[in-house]
Amino acid sequence: MNRRDFVKVMAGTLSLCGCNDMISAVSKQFGQGIPKTLTPAQQSTLDKDFHFLSRTTYGLWPGDLEKVKNMGRKAWLEKQLQPQNINDTLCDLRARRFETIHHHFSTCYEYKKKTLRSEMVKHTLLRAIYSRRQLFEVMVGFWSDHFNIHIEKADCIYLKATDDREVIRKHALGNFRDLIRASAISPAMLVYLDGKSNKKQKPQDIPNENYARELLELHTLGVYGGYTQKDVFEVARALTGWRYHRRKRDVFFNVHLHDQGQKTILGHTLPANGGKEDLERVLDIVCNHPSTASYICYKLAKRFVAPKPPKQLVTNMSKVFSDTKGDIKAVLRYLFLSEEFYNPTFFAQKFKRPFHFIVSSLRFLAADTYARRPQINYLERMGQVPFQYPTPDGYPDEMQPWLGTLLWRWNFAHAVAANKVSGTRIHLRKLLKSLNINDKEQVTKVIAHFIGRLPTPQEQQIFAEYMNDKDMKKATNQQELLGLILCSPAFQRY
Amino acid sequence: MDILRQGFLRKLLFAKNKEQSTTLVCVFLRGGADTLNFVVPYGDDDYYRLRPSIHIAAPKNNKRESSIRLDDFYAFHPKLSPLYPLFEEGRLGIVQAVGSDNTSGSHFEAQDQMEHGSSQHQLLGSGWLGRHLRLHNNEHKKAISAVAMGTTIPESLRGAPNINVIQSLSDLKIHTASGNSQSARDAIAKMYGIQSNILNQHGQDTLGLLQKIENLQKSEYRPENNANYPQNSFGNELREVARLIKGQLGLQVACIDLGGWDTHFFQGQENGLQAGNIDTLAKGLAAFDADLHRYKNSVTTVVMTEFGRRVYENSSMGTDHGRAFTFFALGNKINGGQVLGKWPGLKNDNDEEGPGGLKVQYDYRSLLSEILLDVLNNRQIAKIFPNFRPQKIGLTKR
Repeated sequence: MNRRDFVKVMAGTLSLCGCNDMISAVSKQFGQGIPKTLTPAQQSTLDKDFHFLSRTTYGLWPGDLEKVKNMGRKAWLEKQLQPQNINDTLCDLRARRFETIHHHFSTCYEYKKKTLRSEMVKHTLLRAIYSRRQLFEVMVGFWSDHFNIHIEKADCIYLKATDDREVIRKHALGNFRDLIRASAISPAMLVYLDGKSNKKQKPQDIPNENYARELLELHTLGVYGGYTQKDVFEVARALTGWRYHRRKRDVFFNVHLHDQGQKTILGHTLPANGGKEDLERVLDIVCNHPSTASYICYKLAKRFVAPKPPKQLVTNMSKVFSDTKGDIKAVLRYLFLSEEFYNPTFFAQKFKRPFHFIVSSLRFLAADTYARRPQINYLERMGQVPFQYPTPDGYPDEMQPWLGTLLWRWNFAHAVAANKVSGTRIHLRKLLKSLNINDKEQVTKVIAHFIGRLPTPQEQQIFAEYMNDKDMKKATNQQELLGLILCSPAFQRY
Repeated sequence: MDILRQGFLRKLLFAKNKEQSTTLVCVFLRGGADTLNFVVPYGDDDYYRLRPSIHIAAPKNNKRESSIRLDDFYAFHPKLSPLYPLFEEGRLGIVQAVGSDNTSGSHFEAQDQMEHGSSQHQLLGSGWLGRHLRLHNNEHKKAISAVAMGTTIPESLRGAPNINVIQSLSDLKIHTASGNSQSARDAIAKMYGIQSNILNQHGQDTLGLLQKIENLQKSEYRPENNANYPQNSFGNELREVARLIKGQLGLQVACIDLGGWDTHFFQGQENGLQAGNIDTLAKGLAAFDADLHRYKNSVTTVVMTEFGRRVYENSSMGTDHGRAFTFFALGNKINGGQVLGKWPGLKNDNDEEGPGGLKVQYDYRSLLSEILLDVLNNRQIAKIFPNFRPQKIGLTKR
């Protein structure tokens, strides 16, 4: 039995018995712990590989930097773009145990809301922390915001797990047209943006425009993408009649609720009696519209390159998007290998949102966590629990709205460092040993592990003063040092 | 010379009646509230014709859950009854048919524009309250001048000299491994002081807030005057704002959001989805007003939303995005007890207004200008609302 088989068998057994201690032990044994030696960045400017990894992951797991230095960024990227080929058993051990995320939505109705809510959040958090398919997880996060669904609205809580599985995760690195189509008739979306009550049954029925508007404004063309209020109305007409059936377990089209008249959308005419084909026509029109390519590529560049991405990069990405008819992998490949991506003025300029801050803290520390309530509480205080954003624009990808969360970041930093977040353990002594830290003269190496460069003279002086009268061998002193690193402005950025 | 003299007189005024600075509380109803069902135009037959299944019935005497008559034309939604006494006292002002020139019908566009205090396509990059605070931070430099209740900074405060986002006062402190948070705080202060940028500025502000809050927390808070805040986050947030006001920390602006107004679907009538939200709003504001009875001269509250909803109901017994809404303001400096503004009627054939929105009669900035001038004593309207000429409405007492 080779290691992979063994882990697989263990995965089956362990996920059934749900024994956390065993999972933690097996994980450590099979490569999810901290490598024996770590070589953090040694220069004063940000390490290029560190930059690449901090944008393509939710934070560097100890050993990731060494891996990329060995195999090269291009090879690492290609591997990440084929997530199905990456063995993720150790992550599955922790994240697959929740029943409700595997169920069909009709079965989810049999569960309590509290269970559904908790399992979805834990699953998302654990995947982000432990998956080795990091780029995939980062893109899952991107699309979950793009096609935001607030699970507290109506029945969305029963339907979102299916949406997460069949829309977001299924197409996160796939084709944009497939992704949009899956989302358009996803039961969760039909409820969240009222598509399921959009109908033309009687002549006086007026369509419900909610989904049509967000499809154009948020999902495809963007608010300045060149559509009119009339287009919104016409798209709403074209999408009348889509329903989902809770018991029959499927989504269906009811032609008797459909507006069979002729429609005109963005200059294209949809002939009368189009029936369910109207949906395909609408999606073709919006997906092929040049504004969609540039809007999606702008958002990706803003997420991965800089708050104000270079125009030329967005133009080039849009061309890839259009030439490949919306191949998400091709666009990302272009982005992460582009010259602009490695422009040092963009390094460490992005601000970690609370979810990213927490997940990256845990990843840099190789923490052992089961994402229990105390862990989720921190996300709640900072206002970024997954699937809890009320409006369809999704959690903002900007610094300004999150600046009020600093106090809670500082508290999380100190709590996690001192092992005071219940259900989450870190092995600080082991990390320091792998970094070969023997005395406080070497704290620069600990700092470099977390921020990808040596501290500046000023930073160094502050840390030195802080540790001045403290014995580095004492656990609370090590914990306070770590707490301060996680509190620092540098660790809030990526 | 004039400016110096004005400053001198103001200082004298402050020294005399030891009162703290005026606080403006901004309640934003997110999602586009259907204010036609708040202040019901029961005198217009079109209202009942266009809303066969979601109207609010005309006031009837001796009937429970009846709407409350304001005048021969308007009535309050029954769930607004906690605010009726404030209307009678003349402290609750209502302005009909207020809105922006935004025709996008988008929540985000309309909210952003209103919070930035701009015209459509005018990119200002900061919020109207942010600019007000920048231009007005006279003797309050060290104070907590602005708080936003909740978890995110609202656009309206963008650009303000300091903003604190909080949910409650009680847990605002730093816990460290050794329990000695002072040395950690000192080190954090140094790290956030190395460079001057937005992030570091916020780090400094957060530390400043901690110190002040610590002093406030030494006793348990008891609302005065039998104020009964609703048991939900809106009620809790109003209570915490009251606490900050009484703590005399120099609070100038507090922002509170109340969401859930995007009623495309089964909006309800005297009871139901929207009625529940109105109930929370009315009970919360009434408790806040009662609790702060000793501060009536220094607290003003405004309630606004990004747009009203269509005058007619849709096929799912809800309403879609419309245009104008009803604006509310509460305080001693408000000309209340009346509904200001002409009733525009419910017929609207103008394409630009979008199908079926209530016609905008007053730009929202005209009302905010009156508040800025007469309540907050900020005369720099042209800087807060560039390229805008306010119209006189008379919501405030001079």
